[in-house]
Amino acid sequence: MVMDIQLASLFTAGALIIIGLYAAIFLDNIVKKVIGLNFIEDGANLFLIALGYKFGGVVPIYLPGMSRSWFYANSAYPLPHALVLTSIVIGASTLAVMLALVMVLYKKYHTLSTKVILGEDHE
Amino acid sequence: MIEYIIMIITIIGAIVTILQRDLLKAAVVSGITGACIAFLYEILLAPDVALTQAIVGAAIVPAFFALAIKKTKRTDD
Repeated sequence: MVMDIQLASLFTAGALIIIGLYAAIFLDNIVKKVIGLNFIEDGANLFLIALGYKFGGVVPIYLPGMSRSWFYANSAYPLPHALVLTSIVIGASTLAVMLALVMVLYKKYHTLSTKVILGEDHE
Repeated sequence: MIEYIIMIITIIGAIVTILQRDLLKAAVVSGITGACIAFLYEILLAPDVALTQAIVGAAIVPAFFALAIKKTKRTDD
């Protein structure tokens, strides 16, 4: 049995979210945690786009020559496209803010390790 | 068939990014993941989102990480 492309995309989004959660929770370096949060955002965007997919459909652009009822029945759902387009740009700007906070932390503590910053490194 | 290969490259790129010791290499490999997600958006009938993700995910985000790593420390220890 060959897997549906929509289901495979949902599995890919879930795998990206799991990998990002692992990096954000269990890794020690703080830049790696920010990379994990970026993967979580990518997985959420991919999940939303995969929900709007229609098998055998067309791109949601209305061209002359299409009948309107055929276009309504066969185009992909365009509302998540508009929202995810905004979400990508907002994700890039919040990533810039997170990296600026990482640079401030490095200037104060001179390390990138979370254990040293939180004071849990007693050895 | 090509879409499944792109999904597998996406997940493998994310895992290699997490396992990388050098932070600059990790930033570049996360750019590979962003570009593969852009191709996946194109396959999923969303070409406008694919254009934005190709610019942001493959160029701007690794550039941000490279600038932050240049200001801080490069190795992960």
